[in-house]
Amino acid sequence: MSKIGVFICHCGENISSTVDVVRVAEETGKLEGVEFSTDYKYMCSDPGQTIIKQTIKEKGLTGVVVAACSPRMHEPTFRKACQEAGLNPYMCEMSNLREHCSWVHDKSEATTQKAIDLVRTLVEKVKLNKPLYPIKVPVTKTALVLGGGIAGIQASLDIANAGHKVILVEKDPSIGGHMSQLSETFPTLDCSQCILTPRMVEVAQHPNITLWTYAELEKLEGFIGNFKATIRKKAKSIDENICNGCGHCTTKCPTKKIPSEFNTGLGTRTAIYVPFPQAVPNKPVIDKDNCTYYQKGKCKICEKLCPTGAIRFDQQDELVELEVGAVVIATGFNVMQPSGFPEYGYGKYKDVITGLQFERLASASGPTLGEIRRPSDGKIPEKIVFVACAGSRDPAKGIPYCSKICCMYTAKHAMLYQHKVHGGKSYIFYMDIRAAGKNYEEFVRRAIVDDEVNYIRGRVSKVYEENGKLIVKGVDTLLNAKPVEIEADMVVLASAAVANPGAEELAQKMHVSYDSYNFFSEAHPKLKPVETNTAGIFLAGACQAPKDIPETVSQASGAASKVIILFSQNELSREPVVAVVNRSAPPVYSTCVGCFMCASACPYQAIGEELITDRKGNVIKRVAKVNPGLCQGCGTCVAFCRSKSIDIDGYSNEQMYSEVMALLNND
Amino acid sequence: MNELIQKATILLESNSVQVVIGYGKGSANRTRAIFITQAADCEKLIFDSRCIQNLAVYLTKQEIKKLGKPAIVAPIPVLRSIVQLAAENQIAENDLVVLGVTPESELVEFESFAAIETFLSTHRIEIEGKYQKTIEMIKSMPVSERFAYWVKELEPCFKCYACRSACPLCYCTRCTVENNQPQWISVASHPLGNLEWHVMRAMHLAGRCTDCEACYNACPMGIPIHLLTKSMLQDVAENFGTYGPSLDKLNALSSFKPDDKESFIR
Ligand SMILES: Cc1cc2nc3c(=O)[nH]c(=O)nc-3n(C[C@H](O)[C@H](O)[C@H](O)COP(=O)(O)OP(=O)(O)OC[C@H]3O[C@@H](n4cnc5c(N)ncnc54)[C@H](O)[C@@H]3O)c2cc1C
Ligand code: SF4
Ligand code: SF4
Repeated sequence: MSKIGVFICHCGENISSTVDVVRVAEETGKLEGVEFSTDYKYMCSDPGQTIIKQTIKEKGLTGVVVAACSPRMHEPTFRKACQEAGLNPYMCEMSNLREHCSWVHDKSEATTQKAIDLVRTLVEKVKLNKPLYPIKVPVTKTALVLGGGIAGIQASLDIANAGHKVILVEKDPSIGGHMSQLSETFPTLDCSQCILTPRMVEVAQHPNITLWTYAELEKLEGFIGNFKATIRKKAKSIDENICNGCGHCTTKCPTKKIPSEFNTGLGTRTAIYVPFPQAVPNKPVIDKDNCTYYQKGKCKICEKLCPTGAIRFDQQDELVELEVGAVVIATGFNVMQPSGFPEYGYGKYKDVITGLQFERLASASGPTLGEIRRPSDGKIPEKIVFVACAGSRDPAKGIPYCSKICCMYTAKHAMLYQHKVHGGKSYIFYMDIRAAGKNYEEFVRRAIVDDEVNYIRGRVSKVYEENGKLIVKGVDTLLNAKPVEIEADMVVLASAAVANPGAEELAQKMHVSYDSYNFFSEAHPKLKPVETNTAGIFLAGACQAPKDIPETVSQASGAASKVIILFSQNELSREPVVAVVNRSAPPVYSTCVGCFMCASACPYQAIGEELITDRKGNVIKRVAKVNPGLCQGCGTCVAFCRSKSIDIDGYSNEQMYSEVMALLNND
Repeated sequence: MNELIQKATILLESNSVQVVIGYGKGSANRTRAIFITQAADCEKLIFDSRCIQNLAVYLTKQEIKKLGKPAIVAPIPVLRSIVQLAAENQIAENDLVVLGVTPESELVEFESFAAIETFLSTHRIEIEGKYQKTIEMIKSMPVSERFAYWVKELEPCFKCYACRSACPLCYCTRCTVENNQPQWISVASHPLGNLEWHVMRAMHLAGRCTDCEACYNACPMGIPIHLLTKSMLQDVAENFGTYGPSLDKLNALSSFKPDDKESFIR
């Protein structure tokens, strides 16, 4: 026989001001199986919890219904209280009288009646509750970090410094990401390479970090603490153990005219190449698509030149399987090619470039060794126009969001230009100046006041070439939309920060969600900014949304600390609210017929198969089996199974049905 | 069909299979399923236009499985069911010999289930015009009228479950209607209970039904329950682009594709 205790909370006045809590306690106390009922001002307070605990002990309660606020808020509180009084925590249920009743209705008899109904449904459910026990899963204390930009570097170093193994996988030949391409960085104008390269080296030398460049994730299976990742190590055509990075090969490669990715097409590279001098690892790879030998079957000059004999033309991609306990996604972002905006003339005029290209021009390691020179003729521009929001905040072109970094880097660009080209004139067309950040507003002020950058509030309508000049036509909205025309030597577009081209596919491989712009989604915009909706997979950096370096680094350390917290335990406890495939007496064994349609329905790949055997080991039946470590208790399989062979512990068909019937049978 | 008899005889004689599931003479002018275990009995096999029962239903029955490895006489509807049963992991390629029969009554053998799928790609399911018209007529009714229409159509049903027994895809060990903890579907044959049962049956066949009409042929009351599944077949095709059986395990209702229309979510 059930002996259920019902505890009605006033929630201060949140509930009691519209619901007659005394009546609810009185009426529900009369329900069959209810041993005790009462009301109290704050059930969650210490005295409130003591009432529950004492009643459990004194009356020998078999189940508890707390009618109060949202279970999101206090279910753990009350379950813990029950546990302390010796009752299995899963014998305690919460009815949400606040959000579901008192807050949404006026004070009336109907409101009180609804509260009684809500409690009654749970009384019926609790009668069918069974004790459940947390599921224990082991933790593999190795982290997989995807992407070797500053986010991935920071996360790897933090996790490694906490004493855990890290495997850092970077798709390009070197780590560093966008930050390695930057010249100086706002808001302090310190040189990007100078602060980044020491960290890149630290990654390469850290005993706890295994660095795989030129590699990508192929597949991810498993669950928190127990992922199985397959990594494709793309063939570099080099034996890295032998290569000493002397670089002879790159000097004599006959294919020299390949646009350099690192220099955003403003310079060239060879087919066997190291992307930039400070690359980590500092060993070349052969770009098969452009190598004369791979394309035409003849050449092998590098092989002849290499003093250590490290070239391997027959090297194949290698697939490696790894066991990891957590994943940090730090695959960064991409800069939109603004060719979809014909008005700016990008792609048509050589001297219309993107902000990232400007970074390369301003960088001491760039194609002009840090001098600002026009790509077309190498002249130093006397007048330069920067266009902010070139693509961002433009719903008509599909990017309604703000790229967040452009206001700041545009101010930086104009400032760098003024520092490098004395007597030069710079103009910035902008919509608003967004400089919310520590020392950011001051930085922009410095550009305007000290460096005399001309800010023009308005949009550019057209850029065209005339007599070797770029004519920029726009308006100044602060001067009553007065048309402005500037004869410039160079135009720099702050093109939008967008998601990586492969982001959607990657998200699908890992079963994490992504927004409509293909940036990865955090589990909660405020309270879980580094978690994804898949337990054990975390986010760091610009792969989640455009962000600057300080924010990227903070998030990376945040993600790392989540991984470290996870790794501080040897075993994980999981909520036992998971699906189970039923068992029945022979000769049926289970009503599951092994159609495995639930397996494709499960969004978490939690369903595999099990062979039921007799004592001699003969297979009697092949049925579905839920992996409790993976199952998230979403119930999709339950809804799908035609024979109702699968059910959720704690939310069984029978329990749900009893709740519905409790409402329908109300007379 | 001498060729069929010869082939069946060889299979049994060589012990390649232990039972041949085929059509034999039934009562009156009808045919019925026969299960031949002796080579000498193979001459009882017949095949003609009266052979409309879907024999695939026997492939999942325990009693038949006990007889050993079967060969099955398989005109087009049976072939379709075989493909669907294979996609649902109910039959394995090596445990079955398929004696296919073309619409021209020629015997075809298949090396694999994939070969059957290829063969079927030139024999697609088509919903006859007369059915199309009826379905359109029903769909154009206002909801309340449509509800009343089906309550009336289904009224004669007395839940003998012949439709379920005849359907090759109703192979569950325990049907939802037999599940009484909780009793989701009322077992009584009152109007609402009947509606519940038939809507559930049709839904369970969504994306699976191969339009063999075995349910309709089995119904002693002649209720046009196949209209439900035919209409469902069209809906699935419209929403998920799949039509008829396929070996890929991505059943329309249990799988997600990024290009699913999802027009029913509003
Ligand atoms: C023009 C410009 C100027 C900027 N100036 C400043 C500035 O002055 N100050 C400032 O604070 N911020 C600045 N930023 C912003 C800064 O670049 C970013 O905040 C920072 O690069 C984000 O780091 P990240 O590691 O998240 O991404 P990224 O730098 O994009 O790094 C991502 C890494 O992941 C790798 N990767 C991608 N996909 C995969 C995959 N599938 N598998 C494995 N690896 C993968 C990439 O190759 C890359 O190495 C600027 C940005 C731009 C565009
Ligand atoms: S649990 Fe249900 S859906 Fe899953 S394999 Fe078994 S019968 Fe099929
Ligand atoms: S409850 Fe959800 S997560 Fe768990 S096995 Fe079923 S479908 Fe998969």
